[in-house]
Amino acid sequence: MKNYVLALSIALGISSLALAAEPVTKGSKQATLEQAEAAWNPIEGEKLIALSAKGDYLRGEITYEVCRGCHRPDANGRVDGKYPRLAGQHDTVLIKQLTDIRAGRRGNPKMLPFADDHVINAQEIADLAKYLSHLPIPANNGKGEGAYLERAAKIYDADCAECHGKNGEGIREKFYPRVASQHFAYLENNMLAIRDGKRMNSYPKMVEVIKKYKDKDITLLADYMSRQQSEPQRDPQPR
Amino acid sequence: MKQKHWLWLMLVAGLVMSMPSAQAADPKELAATVCIACHGPDGNSLAPTFPKIAGQQPGYIEKQLNEFLSGKRKNDVMATFLDKFNKGDVPGLAALYAAQKPAPGTVEDAKLAAAGKKLFDEGNPDSGVPGCMGCHLEKGEGNDRYPRLAGQHQAYTIQQIADFKSGKRSNDKAKVMRSVAERMTEDEMKAVAEYIAGLQ
Repeated sequence: MKNYVLALSIALGISSLALAAEPVTKGSKQATLEQAEAAWNPIEGEKLIALSAKGDYLRGEITYEVCRGCHRPDANGRVDGKYPRLAGQHDTVLIKQLTDIRAGRRGNPKMLPFADDHVINAQEIADLAKYLSHLPIPANNGKGEGAYLERAAKIYDADCAECHGKNGEGIREKFYPRVASQHFAYLENNMLAIRDGKRMNSYPKMVEVIKKYKDKDITLLADYMSRQQSEPQRDPQPR
Repeated sequence: MKQKHWLWLMLVAGLVMSMPSAQAADPKELAATVCIACHGPDGNSLAPTFPKIAGQQPGYIEKQLNEFLSGKRKNDVMATFLDKFNKGDVPGLAALYAAQKPAPGTVEDAKLAAAGKKLFDEGNPDSGVPGCMGCHLEKGEGNDRYPRLAGQHQAYTIQQIADFKSGKRSNDKAKVMRSVAERMTEDEMKAVAEYIAGLQ
């Protein structure tokens, strides 16, 4: 564990992402949480390489060619939510999700043949993350019915805002995704998948919180998030 | 003194390495005597089973010719001509055909082409077929990394997708095209080929 933290802090210290390693605190509760977090998001292998590498915007644009056929030239995905919007997502989140899918930690058989390591290498993941996180966020996205937004706001503020931000902006440094203005159907499907244990690479606290939600709670929360507006969080380096 | 020896050695080594691996023939001569039989006088083949190569991306032509020579791509018809050219001829041939004007194809079934356009642009999100325009670009023009498709004969396009699907053709970069083709139905192949024929 100590080695992992040391490796992480060395790697991230030189990283263009300049993430600060969490201080190590002793005590059994802390250790359990650390284990849970490590299981959620182990920073090792190609994920560590990609997070430590300096992404290149132009190379990212070229690497993205193989993704464009589904995620679209503006990286807006599909308004029907069959493919998510990637433009403006945090670089950390893009790296986590892509490497988790490649490592089998998140199932995505539809995408894997076009995103596995024989197609895209670890440096190119960093390039992709740089490119996508710096793209402008397209104006159009899929939204829900808009029927229970006040109720959704109450649940969101109580349960979700701490991690995903008051306006759905997420927390780049902690790998918490930006959910604001993601497509409604994508949010809904993925929240259902997390609740039902079909999307395996989620933060344990997220799984805990979402367990109690009924389908209709998830629908109205997805609707609410699809309408959130917030500025993207980008690495300070200009592209 | 020692350093000077090294410089000479490197110079000679550099010269040897930069020499073509085989004597290159005049690409125009080759095209007019060998390639013309199937690919036509200007790279626009008439028979729909032979590909149009006029205006094709030069990097793609080079890759295909080199892989026919090395055996990585196999084709019974091309096989009979592989003793007519060598690796040294490839860059000249690629440049020659890339510079020729591609002739437009003929759409025979507008309804089928319309279905093909949807697939070309958007793919099939339910089966996971990506839109062709992702790699081959909006008008099927291709780029340094992906081939031009625009105006190609329907029969040739369908055959290639089917061969990628069956694995008979396996020289695609990173198995990407095989992964796409595996998910395509025969009807989708026909539709997209019909649309591609009409692209310019």
